[in-house]
Amino acid sequence: MKIGRRSFLRQTTLTSTAIALAGPYAALGSEKKRIESSYEIMEKMRKYRKFDAHAHVGMNRSHPDDAARQIDENDRLGIEWASISYPVLSREVPFRPEEARENNDVIYKAMKRFPNRFIGFFTLNPHFPKESLEEIKRCVDLGFRGYKGYLQVKINDPLYYPIIEKLIDLKMICLMHAECEIGVGGHRMKYDIGEKAFATIPEDMIEAARRYPEAIFQWAHIGGGGDWEYMCKSFADIPNIYVDCSGSNNEEGIVDGAIRILGEDRIFFGTDNSFYQGVGKILASNTSEAQKRKLFFDNYNNMLRKGGYHVA
Amino acid sequence: MWLDINAYVGHWPFHQVRYNTCRTLLERMNQFGVDISVIANMNGIFYKNTQSANEELWQEIRSERRFRDRFIPFAIINPSYAGWRNDLKICVEKWGMKGVRVYPKYHDYEVTDPSLTELVQRARDYGIPVAFQLRMVDSRSRSWMDIAYVNGKASPQKEWTVKSIVPVVKAVPDAKFLILNVANGIFVDKGGDMELFRKAEIVFDTSGRQVSNLGNLLKTYGNGKFAFGTHSPFLDYLTGMLRIAALREAEADDNVRALVRSGNAKRILGIV
Repeated sequence: MKIGRRSFLRQTTLTSTAIALAGPYAALGSEKKRIESSYEIMEKMRKYRKFDAHAHVGMNRSHPDDAARQIDENDRLGIEWASISYPVLSREVPFRPEEARENNDVIYKAMKRFPNRFIGFFTLNPHFPKESLEEIKRCVDLGFRGYKGYLQVKINDPLYYPIIEKLIDLKMICLMHAECEIGVGGHRMKYDIGEKAFATIPEDMIEAARRYPEAIFQWAHIGGGGDWEYMCKSFADIPNIYVDCSGSNNEEGIVDGAIRILGEDRIFFGTDNSFYQGVGKILASNTSEAQKRKLFFDNYNNMLRKGGYHVA
Repeated sequence: MWLDINAYVGHWPFHQVRYNTCRTLLERMNQFGVDISVIANMNGIFYKNTQSANEELWQEIRSERRFRDRFIPFAIINPSYAGWRNDLKICVEKWGMKGVRVYPKYHDYEVTDPSLTELVQRARDYGIPVAFQLRMVDSRSRSWMDIAYVNGKASPQKEWTVKSIVPVVKAVPDAKFLILNVANGIFVDKGGDMELFRKAEIVFDTSGRQVSNLGNLLKTYGNGKFAFGTHSPFLDYLTGMLRIAALREAEADDNVRALVRSGNAKRILGIV
C-alpha cells in the first residue's frame, strides 16, 4: 500500500508525540486532575463599585447612539458612573471657537439623558481665551463637574494659566490628554508620525503642577500609549498630579507598578472607552480588596468631593 | 474549562516581565482557574538560532510532571535560518510540540517569503497550527531598541493587521492558523477574503484590543473562530477572559461559551 507523505508524517507524528510526552495534558482528560475554576470573574467584577474617570461620548461616529451603547457596555461590566467628555479634536489652525461649545453640548445632552450614570467634563480650546472663560461659566451653570483638555495647547503654555486659575477657584479636576516622550512618537517624541508638537508630555505637566500646586491635575491614560513607567516615575514627587489607568494598552503589571511608584491614592480607574482592559487590568492586579475599592471608585470620587462634584 | 492559547515563558529584553516561567505561570493559572496554557519560549524571538529556545522550553516542561500536565508547547521556527526543517521535525516528532509560532517582523522576512509558505505547508502536513502574533507589545510604548514599527498615520512601518496574514492563508488555505493579540484591524475585505477566512481553519485569540465586541465578532466570523487567550506575560491576565465571561446569553449560549473557553482551541490543536 502506498502511503502519501502527508499521511506518513501524521502517523509518525502521532506515534512520536505519544512517546515524547507520555501522559501529557492530564488536565484535559482526567476529571480528577482537571482544575475546576475557582475564580468566578463575573462575580469578582461585580464586587466593586466603579467610577470611570476617563470616558468619551460623541466621538464614535460609526455608532448612531454611542451614549446608549456606552451605558450598555457599562451595565455589562458593572460601571456605575462615568465621567464623560468630548474634546476639541481639531489639531491645527484654523480652529473654530464654536467647536468646544458644540462638543460640550453633546456631553450636556448625554448628562441629561443619563443623569444617574454620567457626569460631564467640559472641553475648551485655549487658543480662544475670552471664549474659553465664557464657556467655563456656561458649563458650570449647566452642571459640568470638571475639565478635559486635548492636543491644541500644552498644559504649561501661558494660554492655559487663566483656565487653570479658574479651575483652582472651582476646585475642579484638570484632566489632560497627555503622551509620553518614550511613546507615541517613538523615543524622545518624534512628532512626525501624525502627532503634533502640542501634546502635553510629563515634563510639561510637572512644570504646570509646580506653578500651580493647589491645582488638581489628572494625567490621562497611563495605558493609552507611551511608557507608563516613565510617566509614573516622572510624577513620583509631584503630589498634585494623579493618573488614570485607562487606555487600550493593558500591559501586565501596570497597576501594581503605578501603585509601587505613586502610592495607592493617586490612581483612578478609567477606560478611555477600552472597557474590558480598564476593568481587567485592575482585577488582574495584585492589589488587596481595599485597594481595588479605592482604585475602582473611592479615589476618584473623593477627588471630586473636594469641589462638591462627587456622587452618592 | 479554560484553555489559554497564547502565553509565553522566557525573557523580554526591553522591560521586566513576571510570571514568565512554567512555575510562576502555573501559579497564575491556578490563581485564576486556567486549566491549560499553550506556551512558547519568547527567547526564540531574539535568538538567531531559535532551536536553542525550543530546547530550553522542552527541558523546562519535562522537568516536572505538573508542567507536562498543564502546558502545551509550541516551537518558534525561523524559516529563513539554516536547519529549520530539521528543527521543526525534532520539535514535533521528538519533543511533541503541538504548533509553530513565527515572527516575520522580528526575524526579518516577508509574509510572502517562499520559505514561510513551505513552513506552513509542513505544519499542515503534521496537522498542527501556525501562530501569527500581530503584536508583541504596544508599539506606542516600545523600547528604542525594539523593531521600528510605530502605529502612527505617517509611520513607514505600521503594525500588522489581520489583512497582513491574508497572503499566507491564500498560499496554504488548508493549513491551520492562530492569529493572536489582534490589536489592529480584525476584519479582512468583504467578499473573497472574508469567505476564505470563514472557510479556513483560523482561530483568533481574545487577548487583542480589537476583540472589543466579541458577540458581534462571533456573528461575523462564526462560533468556531475565537478562543481564550491572555498574551501573558505581556497583557493583564484577565481581560481576554472577561471578554468571554461577559458575553450575554443572546450573544453566546453555554455551548458557544464552552467553544470559546476551550473547545475551539482543542479542535485546532487536535487534542479533542
